[in-house]
Amino acid sequence: MDTSQLLKGVLDLAVLAVLRKEDGYGYDVLRRLRQGGLDGVGDASVYGTLRRLYNAGLLTSYVVPSEEGPHRKYYSLNEPGRARLLDSGKTWKSFAQALDDLLGEGA
Amino acid sequence: MNTQANTEVQHYLDAMRGALSDLPAAEVGEIMDDAGAHVVEVAEEMGDEFTLAALIDRLGTPQAYAQELRAAAGYPPPAPAAPAGVRPMLLARYTLWSLVAGTLMAFAYAASGGDSQELTVLVGLCAAAGTLLVFRQKDLLAAVGRLPETVALRDVLRRAERSEPLRFLTPLRTFQPMWWVARALLIVAVGVLAYRLRSPIVLVIVTLAFLSMVAGPKSKTDRRWLWISLPSTGLAIGGLLLIFSSMTSWLFYERSAPVSYNTAPPSVPDNIYVFDKDGRPLTDVHLYDEDGRPLDSPWYGCNGRTARDDNRYPRPRVVHDENGCREIPGVPPFTIVIPGTDPAFTTTAPPATPSPQPSTTPSPQPSAAPPTTQSVPPTAVVPTS
Repeated sequence: MDTSQLLKGVLDLAVLAVLRKEDGYGYDVLRRLRQGGLDGVGDASVYGTLRRLYNAGLLTSYVVPSEEGPHRKYYSLNEPGRARLLDSGKTWKSFAQALDDLLGEGA
Repeated sequence: MNTQANTEVQHYLDAMRGALSDLPAAEVGEIMDDAGAHVVEVAEEMGDEFTLAALIDRLGTPQAYAQELRAAAGYPPPAPAAPAGVRPMLLARYTLWSLVAGTLMAFAYAASGGDSQELTVLVGLCAAAGTLLVFRQKDLLAAVGRLPETVALRDVLRRAERSEPLRFLTPLRTFQPMWWVARALLIVAVGVLAYRLRSPIVLVIVTLAFLSMVAGPKSKTDRRWLWISLPSTGLAIGGLLLIFSSMTSWLFYERSAPVSYNTAPPSVPDNIYVFDKDGRPLTDVHLYDEDGRPLDSPWYGCNGRTARDDNRYPRPRVVHDENGCREIPGVPPFTIVIPGTDPAFTTTAPPATPSPQPSTTPSPQPSAAPPTTQSVPPTAVVPTS
């Protein structure tokens, strides 16, 4: 099964989740997602998702100057972001549970 | 990274920026800060093994990268490049300038407190047509973006945004949602004004108040909403100016209350009937006070208020009966008797002040009355209807 199709629906949740414990800049978020096992996630999709979550008011951002290379824009969860994470997390868990039950021992 | 690699990365970034160029400049800036830095970082990681082919292999073509980013960010799809003919150019120009005119008109309408209705309606219709066009026609926004005046304007704005004196404005972006709410409230305030002026514009204004709330967040990613948000801002700022100026004049009025008492226009009754010395009603009489100021009064005909107040009396009478509403010009609803017509009376009668005391019998011959001024009213008023 093509995981990229699955990812589309849950990338918001995944990005919010990796920002829960620690703020991060785009590349950082991408690395954490891949380390977490989401290898198929596209670079541009992560940046696009960050922009969308930011424009929806779920993230705040700040720029950290760096000595070598370009400045980095860090994103952090704000209160609406945390609320969304909690809400979407519950939805995901009940969805995953339902699918697990459907699959039963067969998978 | 060597110079060669630098140039190639720059090309990649330029192509990416080009594929995003129909988005608002601020948003493109944010993306390039973010994703552009990422491209640079990826290129740096490759070190000596960097080639443009390797970069494209890793990230996709700049167009594909931009496309994927757009899809994930929920931006509207890019407009296909249309051949620039004469007609699209004209249409684009109309759309752009109707936005400018609509914004200025909205500002002027609110700031003047609802002046020049006809012009406002006319310009408002043009601007509304432009707005509809830009929302209905997919390619139009891109065509507007290619207009030389748009390119020049965007350049000026970009430079202004980066200039030192305006840089402090950037942190104010945090307060944008508050401004969107305030803007809607200001528009509603102007709407209340238009409602009190019985102007049909009130409907447009109420619609704009609703749309402006949507336009705030939307126009960050979709430029078409500028056609809503800019006129909204014009109207709101105009309304703000109006509120400030009326507050200032109110304060001034409070302080100079004794003086302003004299400058207040004298009040007049709803209607005035004038008769000559023979008791004949006069029509088309213009009244002035001791300073030569016309004694204007408002008049409400069958169709509501007249276009302007004037000082010509008597006003037509408005009668509502089974035939509907009628305006009867000039004729008073009563006749009077002037006692001064008798020479014997003129020496003894007091100044002919009209008395409201009615007499049941019309007597055209006041001389028939006893010569005592006390017992006979100097003027008899007889209702005729």
